[in-house]
Amino acid sequence: MGDTEMELSPAHQQEALQKSPSASSLSLSTASSLSLPSSPSSGPQSPASPSISTSTSDGPPLTSSSSPSLDVITEGVGELTVVIDPEMAKLACQEVLQKVKFQKGELEVGLPQAAADTEMPTLANGAAIHIRDEPVSLTPAKPSTKAGEEVEPEQATPSGSGKNARRRQKQHNSSKQSWLLRLFESKLFDVSMAISYLYNSKEPGVQAYIGNRLFSFPYEDVDFYLPQLLIMYIHMDEDVGDAIKPYVVHRCRQSISFSLQCAWLLGAYSSDMHISTQRHSRGTKLRKIILSDELKPAGSRLRPPVPCPPPLAVLHHEHGLSPSKRTHQRSKSDATASISLSSNLKRTASNPKVEANQDEPVRLTPQREYIKSLMGIGKRLAALATKEQKTSRLISELSLLNHKLPARVWLPTAPFDHHVVRVPHTQAVVLNSKDKAPYLIYVEVLECENFETSNVPVRIPETRIRSTRSVENLPDCGITAEQRASCFYPVPNYDNDDEAWSVDDIGELQVELPEIHTNSCDNISQFSVDSITSQESKEPIFIAAGDIRRRLSEQLAHTPTTFRKDPEDPSAVALKEPWQEKVRRIREGSPYGHFPNWRLLSVIVKCGDDLRQELLAYQVLKQLQSIWEQEHVPLWIKPYKILVISSDSGMIEPVVNAVSIHQVKKQSQLSLLDYFLQEHGNYTTEAFLTAQRNFVQSCAGYCLICYLLQVKDRHNGNILLDSEGHIIHIDFGFILSSSPRNLGFETSAFKLTSEFVDVMGGLDGDMFNYYKMLMLQGLIAARKHMEKVVQIVEIMHQGSQLPCFHGSSTIRTLKERFHMSLTEEQLQVLVEQMVDGSMRSITTKLYDGFQYLTNGIM
Amino acid sequence: MAQVEKKVGLLRRTSSSKRPLKEKVVLMYDDIFARDDPAVTNPRFWDELFLMKVNLEYLEAKLESLDGDEVLKIKENINSLFHHCIQALGEEHQIRVVNALQTLCALFRGVHQKNKSATGFDIINMLMGFDKAELRMKDLMESLDSLLCGDSSESLKSLCLKLLLCLVTVTDNISQNTILEYVMINSIFEAILQILSEVSSRSQHGYDAVVLLALLVNYRKYESVNPYIVKLSIVDDEPTLEGMGMVVHQALTEYNRQYKDKEEEHQGGFLSALSSMVGSMFVADADEKLSVQTNEAILLALYEAVHLNRNFITVLAQSHPEMDMAATSIDPVPTTPTTPLGTTPPMLDLMNSSELPLDPNLQTSNLLITFLKYSSIVMQDTKDEHRLNSARLCLIILTCIAEDQYADAFLHDDNMNFRVNLHRMPMRHRKKNAVGISPSRPLVCAVLDLMVEFIVTHMMKDFPMDLYMHCVQIIHKLICYQKKCRIRLHYTWRELWSALINLLKFFLSNETTLLTKHNIFHMALQVVNLFNMFITYGDTFLPTPNSYDELYYEIVRMHQVFDNLYCMVLRVSTNAGQWKEPASKVTHALINIRAIINHFSPKIESYAAVNHISQLSEDQVLEVVRSNYDTLTLKLQDGLDQFERYSEQPKEAAFFKELVRSISLNVRKNVSLNTLSQDLLLKEFSSIS
Repeated sequence: MGDTEMELSPAHQQEALQKSPSASSLSLSTASSLSLPSSPSSGPQSPASPSISTSTSDGPPLTSSSSPSLDVITEGVGELTVVIDPEMAKLACQEVLQKVKFQKGELEVGLPQAAADTEMPTLANGAAIHIRDEPVSLTPAKPSTKAGEEVEPEQATPSGSGKNARRRQKQHNSSKQSWLLRLFESKLFDVSMAISYLYNSKEPGVQAYIGNRLFSFPYEDVDFYLPQLLIMYIHMDEDVGDAIKPYVVHRCRQSISFSLQCAWLLGAYSSDMHISTQRHSRGTKLRKIILSDELKPAGSRLRPPVPCPPPLAVLHHEHGLSPSKRTHQRSKSDATASISLSSNLKRTASNPKVEANQDEPVRLTPQREYIKSLMGIGKRLAALATKEQKTSRLISELSLLNHKLPARVWLPTAPFDHHVVRVPHTQAVVLNSKDKAPYLIYVEVLECENFETSNVPVRIPETRIRSTRSVENLPDCGITAEQRASCFYPVPNYDNDDEAWSVDDIGELQVELPEIHTNSCDNISQFSVDSITSQESKEPIFIAAGDIRRRLSEQLAHTPTTFRKDPEDPSAVALKEPWQEKVRRIREGSPYGHFPNWRLLSVIVKCGDDLRQELLAYQVLKQLQSIWEQEHVPLWIKPYKILVISSDSGMIEPVVNAVSIHQVKKQSQLSLLDYFLQEHGNYTTEAFLTAQRNFVQSCAGYCLICYLLQVKDRHNGNILLDSEGHIIHIDFGFILSSSPRNLGFETSAFKLTSEFVDVMGGLDGDMFNYYKMLMLQGLIAARKHMEKVVQIVEIMHQGSQLPCFHGSSTIRTLKERFHMSLTEEQLQVLVEQMVDGSMRSITTKLYDGFQYLTNGIM
Repeated sequence: MAQVEKKVGLLRRTSSSKRPLKEKVVLMYDDIFARDDPAVTNPRFWDELFLMKVNLEYLEAKLESLDGDEVLKIKENINSLFHHCIQALGEEHQIRVVNALQTLCALFRGVHQKNKSATGFDIINMLMGFDKAELRMKDLMESLDSLLCGDSSESLKSLCLKLLLCLVTVTDNISQNTILEYVMINSIFEAILQILSEVSSRSQHGYDAVVLLALLVNYRKYESVNPYIVKLSIVDDEPTLEGMGMVVHQALTEYNRQYKDKEEEHQGGFLSALSSMVGSMFVADADEKLSVQTNEAILLALYEAVHLNRNFITVLAQSHPEMDMAATSIDPVPTTPTTPLGTTPPMLDLMNSSELPLDPNLQTSNLLITFLKYSSIVMQDTKDEHRLNSARLCLIILTCIAEDQYADAFLHDDNMNFRVNLHRMPMRHRKKNAVGISPSRPLVCAVLDLMVEFIVTHMMKDFPMDLYMHCVQIIHKLICYQKKCRIRLHYTWRELWSALINLLKFFLSNETTLLTKHNIFHMALQVVNLFNMFITYGDTFLPTPNSYDELYYEIVRMHQVFDNLYCMVLRVSTNAGQWKEPASKVTHALINIRAIINHFSPKIESYAAVNHISQLSEDQVLEVVRSNYDTLTLKLQDGLDQFERYSEQPKEAAFFKELVRSISLNVRKNVSLNTLSQDLLLKEFSSIS
C-alpha cells in the first residue's frame, strides 16, 4: 500500500504536517477502524503496550491467546528492539491498534444490542468509539479527493477544540480516517509530527500507537524531543504517560546516559509541582525507578531466557547483557565491595574482573557522583568573595577531582562516546557572575566506541609526563642478594648526574621545540646552535641591534592578540585563546595526550541557575536552524547544548573561540568595527569580508530569534563574538513573556546598535540590505514551519512555572509573531519596520539613560 | 579507709627500705654483664627480661663503662641479648616487642658511644657476632618491616622508626656506620613508602619516615651503590610522592607559621616596649632566631626527592587545599539514589562541612610556594651557620628545579597564578612593608623576586660567593628556558638589571678584599653574560619592545659601572697572574655592552646639546635610544644559552657530608628525648593490653 501514498506531493505533506494539531482531531475517530485489516497473526513476538494489555486482560480469547502477561511484554520490548527494524515496529503498531479495536469491540458487545454498524455514542472515557467494517478503511481513495478531504476537516475544527467538533468529525467519510494511518505509516511522519499528535490527540489508541511508533524513530531524533516527552509524561493524563513510558523504560535499559538524562529532566520538570503532589507524581516515581537502577539491562532481570531468534541471542552475548551473567555472583559481590569501599568514582580499570562487572551494581553512580562533585565545587566557590580566590580554589578542587579519574564518566554535552580521563585543572576559569559561581572547565577525554562497554582507560599518573628515561638509564636496580652482599666494596659511582637520572631537560628542548616554536625569523637561535657546534673556526657574526628590536616588535605584532590578564575577569584570557591552540597546549602537557583518541572538551558548570529555559531556547534555536537549513536560508546561529541536571543546576557547552562583546570592548578599547579591522584586516581584505558576511548572517539570525522568542536582557556581556566574526547570543534567561524586572522598556524588536550597523558597512551598504533580506527570508521560512517551533514551546508550557510562561497569552503571542496572515510584501514592510524601530532605539538611548536615573533604577 | 592508708604506708615503708636493692630488670642486666650465660641459672631468663620495663640509662651506661677486653669477655651474652631482642620482636605480646625495641636502641647506642674509635666491624662483632650478623640483621629488618607495614599499634610503629633513626644516627658520619650495610641489603624502603602513601600513617609517622629516608639516601652516597638512591629515583607512585611532598609541605608550613608568629610577637613587643630600652630589642632578636630553628633534615629530604626523582617535580606544583585527601575519599552513601529531590545527599554535606574553613591564604598553597616562602625567611639572615646551610640548600634545590623542564613549564604557566608573599629583610633604605601584597602572577616571578632579593641583601664583607653563584645560575637557567620556549614573561626586568649592576659595583669597590678569597671574575662573567642574553636574545623573551629600550637605557645610565669593570678586567688580564685568564674572558664578554655605551652616550650628549637640556628625562633618553638602533652593530656571542648542569658530586659533596653530619647529630639528640616521652605513652599502652 505504500506506493499509492507516495503519490502525495511533498508540499502537500508538509501542509498536513503543519496542521497537525487540527488534524489530530481526525485521529479520534479513525483510530479504531484503522487497524482492523491488519492480521492478528502478527501477535506473539510483537511488542505491545502494557497499558493496553491490562485493560484487555479479561478480553475475548482472540487477544489473550496471542499476548503474554504484562511483565513479559515489557521485557519483550526491551529485548527485541535491540535490533529494531521498521517492519517490526510497524507490526507492533498495528497490533496495538488492533487491540484497541478489540477492547472497544468488547465494550460494545457488552452494550445491549447496540451492534449497529454505524457510530457508537461516546463512552465513559470520553473517547468516541467507532466500529466500522474493516475492508473499507484500507481501500485507497483517489489522491485527488484525498487532498480535498484532508483540508476540509481541519477547517471545520479550528484549534483542536472540544468534543462536539470531534463528534462532528466522526461523521466524516471513513476513507479520510484511513489517511491518518497512512500518514503515520508514511516516511514523512517524523518525530515532530509524532510528538504533535501525541500532545494534541486525546485518543488513547492514537497515543498508544504513537508511543509504539517512537521505537521506530532514530534515537537522536527522539532525544531531541525528550524534554517534551517527559513533560507530557509528568503533566499530562494517564494515557499519554502510559504511551510514553514503555519507550522511556526501554531506552533507559539500554543506555546509562539516557537514564541519567531522563532522571535529571524528570526531577527538574517535577520541581514546579506542589511538594505533596510531586512525591506521588508519575514523574517522581519513574525517576526513582531509574535512579534505583531497577532498569538495568534486561539480562540481569528475573526471567527465564525467552526463546528468541538465534541472531538476537548472539547479539545479546555481544552486548554482555545475556542472562548468564547472573552466575557471576561472587565476583559481582567482590565488585560491589570494592566499589563501596571507596568513592564510586574510584577507577576500577586496573582490575579487569571488577571492570567487567562494574556496571551492574553501580551503573549510574560514577557519573552521578562526578556531576555531584562538580556541582559541589560550584556551591563552595559561591561562598568565596573575589574572583581570584574563586579561581585558585577551583584549581585546587579540580586537582583533587583528578585523583579519581579516569572513570566511567562522561560529558553529556559531547557528541561522541568517551571516558573522562583528566581535568587539566590549571586551565579552569571562573566566569563572570555576580553572586553565583559558574565556571568553565576543560576536560580531557578518550573517545571510545561505547562508554558503557569499553574499558575505562588506565590511569596514567601525572608524573608520567616526564620521560621514563630515569628508569631505563639506571643500572639494573633489581640487585640480587649476591650483588647486594658485594655492595660492601666500592663499585663505580652511579650518582653521576650527567648520565643517570638527571636527564638534560633543557637540552631536550632544543630537539623538541623548534618545529613548534621557531618560525622563519628565528635566525638568531639557529645561529647560536651553529656557532656552538663550530665554535673556533667561525668568523664572528655581527648582528644589528635594530634587527633585534624590530624582530621583537614584529613578533609581538604577529602573535594573535591576546587579552591582558584581569583578576576581575579571569575568563577573558582563557576564552580568547584560539581553541586549536589551547587543545595543542593542553595535549602537550597531558599524560594522556599521546593517545590518538584523545580529545579536549569544555563545559560550563552552572550551579544555582535554572537552565530549563535555556534548554527550551536551545530546542527552538536548533529547530529554527534546521528549518533554515532545509529552506536554504543562509542564516547562521549557534545553538549550544544544555544539560539540565536539576531545576537549579546544569551544564552548558561553551561556544569555543568566542568572547563577549563586553570583553572585546573592554580589552581592546576599540569600537567593534575597529576591532574587526584589527582582527581580520582591512576593509578590502578577504578575511575582513568573510568576517563581515559571517557577522551579518549571524546577526540576522539572532535578530529573528530575539524577535520571535522575545529575548531580553541583551547587554554586551550576553553577546559573544567568535573568531570568524559571528555573533552568538547567550543567556536566554529572559524570553517569551519574561523580561528583567523594571526593564520592560526593552521594547525594540531586537538589539541592533549603531556599532553593529557600522560593522555591516553602514545603513546604505549592500551588506545592510543583505541583512534585511536575510531577515525576511528567515522569517518566511520560519513561518512556513511555525508549528514545529510553536509545538516545542507549547508542550513545555505544561505544568510549568518557568518565568517565560508567565501570563496566559504566551503561546498566542508567540504565534502572532509569525504573522501567518501577512503576505510576503507585508512581511517585508514588517522587517523594515522592526529594523527601523531597533535602529531608532539607538537615538533614544539618551532618553533611556534618563529613564534609568529618574526611575531610580540602576 | 584508714586501713587502706595504713597498708599503703606499710608498703611504702617496705619499698623504701628496699631502696638499695636494685630493680629486677637492672639485676637481670647485671646478669647479662656477668660472664656466665644467664639462661643457665634461669631458663626463663629471656622470657622474663622482655616483660620488664627497660631501663635505658642503666643499660647504656653499663655498656659504655665496659672497656674493650671486658666487652670481649661478655660478647656471648650481648650477642645472646641481641638475638633474643630480635626474637622478641616476633612475639605476639606487644609489651615484649616494645621492650625489645627499646633494648635494641640502648644496645646500638651504648655500643657506639663506647667504641667511638672502634671499627664498624668490631661493633658488629660485639653485637651480633660476625658469623651471625647477616642473619640477625636480616631478621631484625624483616621484623621491623612487618611491624611498620602491619596493623600494629601506632606507638609501636613510631618506636620502630625511632629505633631505625637511632641506628642510622649512632655515628656522626653516617657513612662510617657499618651496620647500615645490612640496612642497605635488607631494604626497608618499601615500608617507608607505605607509611608515606597512607594518610593516617603519614600524619603520624611521616616526618620520621622522611627524615629516615633522607639519611639513608646519604649513606656512602659517593662510594657505593646505595639501593635507596636507586629506589627513590624511580618511585612513580603518585600517592607516595604526594605523601612525601605533603610531609615536607607541612613541616615547612609549620616553620613559616612559627616564624610569622614570632615576628608578630616581636613587632608587638617592640611597639609596647617602645618606652623601654632599645638594647632589649637585640636580645629579643637573638632569641627569635634561636627559637625558630631551620629544619635541615626536611630540607635535605626535599632536596633528595627533587634531585633524584624526576617524578617528584610534579608534586611541587600540586596544590594542597586544606582538605586532605582523606576528606575526599569518604564513601558516598550508597543509598543516595533514593534521596528525594532537593535534599542534599549526605556525602555532599560532609564535603561541605569539611570544606568550610575558607582561608584564602591557606587554600591555594602548594609545596613550591611554601618552599619559596621558607627560603625567603631563611635567606634573610645567613650569618648563623645553620641558616647559611639552609639557604645554600634552598638555592641548590631551586637550581635543580630551574633545570627541570617540567618544573619550568609550570613555573611559567600563565594559568597558574599565585600570590607569594616573600619575606623581606627590613633594611635601612626601604620600609619593611612597602612592597605590600604582591599581585598574583606565574610562580617564576616569585622565584626571580627571591633571587633579586637575595642579590640585593647579601653584599657584605663576608661575601657568600657560592650562594651568589647559585643565584645567578638560577636566573640564567630560567632565562634560557624562556628564550627557548619563547615565553614572554611580564616581569619588571628592570629590578633584576639594577640588582645585577649593583652587584658588579660591589665587586669593583671591594675588589681587593674579595680577590683574596673568591674568583670574582667568574661571577662577573656570569653577570655580564646575563646582560648579553638580554641584549642579543631579548627579542625572544622580552615582553614588550619598550623593555628592550629600557635595557639599553639602564646600561647607558649605569655606564660608569661597566666602564670601571672593563678597566679593572683589562688591568688584571694584562698582568700575569692567576686571574689573567678569567679576567680576559670578562673583557670579551663586555664587547656588546661597551658597544652600546659607546654608541649611545655621544648620541645622548649631542641630543642634550642640540636641545639645550642639561638633564635628559627618561623618555627623552629612550627616544634617543629608539632612533639610533640601526647604526649599532653587535657581535653574536657563543654559548650564552649554554649552562653547566648542576652536579652534586665534585662541587657540593663536602657540603652535603657536613650537612648530613649536622643533621645526624641533631636527629640523634632529638630521638633520645622522644624515646623517653614515648616511654610514657607505652606505659599507658601496657595497661590496656
